Amino acid sequence: MSKTKNGKQKLSRRKFLKTAGMASGAAAVCLFAKPAPGAKAAAAKHQPLGPGQVEVRLDVNGKVHVLKLEPRVTLVEALRERLNLTGTKRTCDHGECGACTVLLDGRAVCSCMTLAVNAQGKKIITIEGLAQGKLLARLQKAFVEHDALQCGFCTPGMIMSLKALLDQHPRATPAQIRAAIAGNYCRCGALPNILKAASAVARG
Amino acid sequence: MYPTGRAGKAARSPQEKEIKKKKLKAKVGLSQNPQVVEIEVPESELPVWDLDAKLKIVGKGVPRIEGPEKVTGQAKYTLDYTPVDLPGLLYAKVLRSPYAHARVESIDASRAAALPGVKAVVLIAKGSGFDASNALLDVVSDGPALEPQDREVIAEGEEVAVVAAESEAIAEDALELIEVKYVRLPHVVDYEEARRPEAPRVHKEASSNVVPGDPQTAGDIEKGFKEADVIIERTLRVPVLLHNSAEPHAAVAKWEGKKLTVWASTQGVNGFREDLAKAFKLDKADVRVITQHMGGGFGSKFGMQNYGGLAALMARRAGAPVKLAYDRHEENQAAGNRPNATMWIKLGAKKDGRLTALHCRAYGTAGVGRDASVTGMMATVYKCPNLRLEDSDVYTNAGMGMPMRAPGYPQGSFAIESAMDELALELKMDPLELRRKNFVDLPLLALEEMYQVGAEKIGWSRRGELGPKPGSPLRRGMGMGTAVWGNGAGPPAASRVTIAPDGSVESAMAVQDLGVGTRTLVAMVTAEELGVPLEAVKVSIGDTSLELIGPDSGGSVTALSIAPAIRLAAAAARHQLFQKVAPALGAKPEDLVCDDGKISARGRPGQALTWKEAAAKLGAPVSGHGERLPNVAPYGDLPLWGVQFAEVEVDTETGLVRVVKVVAVHEAGRVINRTTFESQVQGGVIMGLGYALLERRTMDKTEGRVINPNLEDYKMIGPEELPEIETVIVEPITPANNVGGKGIGEPCTVPTAAAVSNAVAHALGIRVYELPLSPDRILDALAAKKEA
Repeated sequence: MSKTKNGKQKLSRRKFLKTAGMASGAAAVCLFAKPAPGAKAAAAKHQPLGPGQVEVRLDVNGKVHVLKLEPRVTLVEALRERLNLTGTKRTCDHGECGACTVLLDGRAVCSCMTLAVNAQGKKIITIEGLAQGKLLARLQKAFVEHDALQCGFCTPGMIMSLKALLDQHPRATPAQIRAAIAGNYCRCGALPNILKAASAVARG
Repeated sequence: MYPTGRAGKAARSPQEKEIKKKKLKAKVGLSQNPQVVEIEVPESELPVWDLDAKLKIVGKGVPRIEGPEKVTGQAKYTLDYTPVDLPGLLYAKVLRSPYAHARVESIDASRAAALPGVKAVVLIAKGSGFDASNALLDVVSDGPALEPQDREVIAEGEEVAVVAAESEAIAEDALELIEVKYVRLPHVVDYEEARRPEAPRVHKEASSNVVPGDPQTAGDIEKGFKEADVIIERTLRVPVLLHNSAEPHAAVAKWEGKKLTVWASTQGVNGFREDLAKAFKLDKADVRVITQHMGGGFGSKFGMQNYGGLAALMARRAGAPVKLAYDRHEENQAAGNRPNATMWIKLGAKKDGRLTALHCRAYGTAGVGRDASVTGMMATVYKCPNLRLEDSDVYTNAGMGMPMRAPGYPQGSFAIESAMDELALELKMDPLELRRKNFVDLPLLALEEMYQVGAEKIGWSRRGELGPKPGSPLRRGMGMGTAVWGNGAGPPAASRVTIAPDGSVESAMAVQDLGVGTRTLVAMVTAEELGVPLEAVKVSIGDTSLELIGPDSGGSVTALSIAPAIRLAAAAARHQLFQKVAPALGAKPEDLVCDDGKISARGRPGQALTWKEAAAKLGAPVSGHGERLPNVAPYGDLPLWGVQFAEVEVDTETGLVRVVKVVAVHEAGRVINRTTFESQVQGGVIMGLGYALLERRTMDKTEGRVINPNLEDYKMIGPEELPEIETVIVEPITPANNVGGKGIGEPCTVPTAAAVSNAVAHALGIRVYELPLSPDRILDALAAKKEA
């Protein structure tokens, strides 16, 4: 970590992403993955992205959006600040709180730890994509009925983490339910009712 | 600033003298032990919802009405305003000091200002440690401030400059281009070190880092200890905690000429507005503060603070709406914390358990700010004739402390309840029995009932059998603690209930819902008083433009400050409706009743109008206005009580404490919504468990920095640590107000850590005198016992 002129010692996450985004080139390249055989040749074919804006296509809740974004823009920023899908929350921006959880091809991911460019070609489901009109999904209904929310700020992330679990394991055990939301924090203390709501759905 | 029970009382302004009074009877207390009391109330007051009241909605468990909005992501929080909602919205970011103490020699922001997309830059050009946001706003300059005047930063995270730009990324890039030359100065972040005379002075103008408060005394402390047969004397410590509300401090400001609108994540739209009007020298009527949904505050979000002031300032400078939201690090460096404490406590008692004297000398740090007092609860929780309670604040070069859920009480509870348990051990008395010997003398006290039900639910009679399990390193124990909190609910609060000719009802008040269920409570009380279904009521809150004053939400005052006013407003609106429809029913307005949405004359239910038919006769909407009337003496001054029991299992090989079960018994007079009441109690317990086992802010003494300002290294209770929590409601109705209730937000977090700590001491036969009860401390204590 270098010391900047103003003495700020933390390496700016955004600066890191900016650099990484430029170096990683193709959108699908995982930043820390061991290069696969032939990756060098493949990388040579691709032009680095950015640092200026690039076209990004995002398939969110079944609708394709075409945006102009810098490659360093995270998925949560694109969803919230550009698409106004603010149900996905951001409280830590470091993958510590789970409030920004969305589904990427059915898998629960922190959208603050995912670059928007890397979410291209995948089906993104956010909290706004669960209910059909005024008809709440079962998990959403169970959250309301069991009062599994207080301030409600962690709620979308909780629901998305649990949805990923219950889609895979419709009869999830209490232990699986606890593990699924171990990365989601709730400061109001709605946890007992969150577990109740999820268990009610898992019991069918 | 913070309406705790203590401050709340002083803030009330009874206008009883001018008001004509009437006498009412009310059947109050517990249903199994009712008492009929005669009270004197203003003529306009409604009868108390007492034990004879037949209520259909109030007292039931109702899921919160904004639930569907919150589970679908539709609920709009301050953080959620985007350029789509407010075209041209800019993002502000704050450059903060990386040092705990430094002189700022120069700030040059010319490169930042020249960055494309940057719309405004301001520098903080003089002063230090801004505890009043006005002071901060008075010392900004457009820079570059190559020769700042007397500019010193006295805590990590203190504001140095602010940028507003087209995106958050550009604003952050701009912060990196601001060149600040700091000259580091000696700092002190450890409060024990800060007390020494040779320690660096945190505030230049203060003669010392230690600021003693006024001691609270009663009786004769020396005589009290002379009379004691047993004396316990201990020193206990608790750490600094971080609020970590899910939604950070955030404000969105928009100017239209001289009119200012701010969306704010705040616990008080009214207090926030007053601060803005003062800081920007505006007419209050020209300032509007909106808080529809907010992601928790826990005491850290009162008033405009620097985030609100700077958002409005940057919006004015940039000529565009501005959003300023702290990130998690800022939140935990510079947006508040719960002060720590070292508490020396000395407790004396007779052989039969009656307390004779209590002396506590405590000090703690609220960083560069004030009020680390912890002895508040000690004077009220048990009866003790001779008291001396001394608090002092210690300044350190760290972020300013703020009130945090029952400020001072969980700290004090850990000290007094630990001492009580040690006293019980010394007297060979059951800890519960010792508490029973020391009940305070107050009317309508239901503590005995609460102790009984709690003891039964936890299985207190099994306590003697707990201890080591054969062939296992695990040991079980049980402990308890009493909760107390002053009742601060009271005027002012104003409500308006409107009935429209289409039958719809609107209930309005400028109060905010922090996530505790206020919105639902407003609907329930309105529907109950009118006699209509809950769904018929639309609630309008969280907006100062309603011009209906409500309390800032702190000190457990919200529900019972507002509910009695809402009842009065609903009754006034209903009266107008009855006047219109009485002729159609061939009755006098005062003989009409509304039940289940049907209006009829008393005793003639056959001839009725539906609510809709009745409202249709209105022609135009009618509104009723209700003002919160003063509390009825002496009942308004009675505290809120609770008791919590914990059973724990301690692994003597790993030092890990597992809480098996908590029973939380609480009273708040009449409970309005059982569902949200229980949820809040669970939340208080969970926060208390974090206090007991995990939470502590850690600082690097050499660098003067918070080293865990994040959610990874600052540990909180998650699903894996969660015990079974059983909440029990005991409901002694109070005649203090027309609803018969008190509050619940704070008492439910007061005794949890003490109960857990007492259970751990019971399990191990030794006591750890410092929170959190982390494995290393448990193992150290076990090792020390072995050596002894």
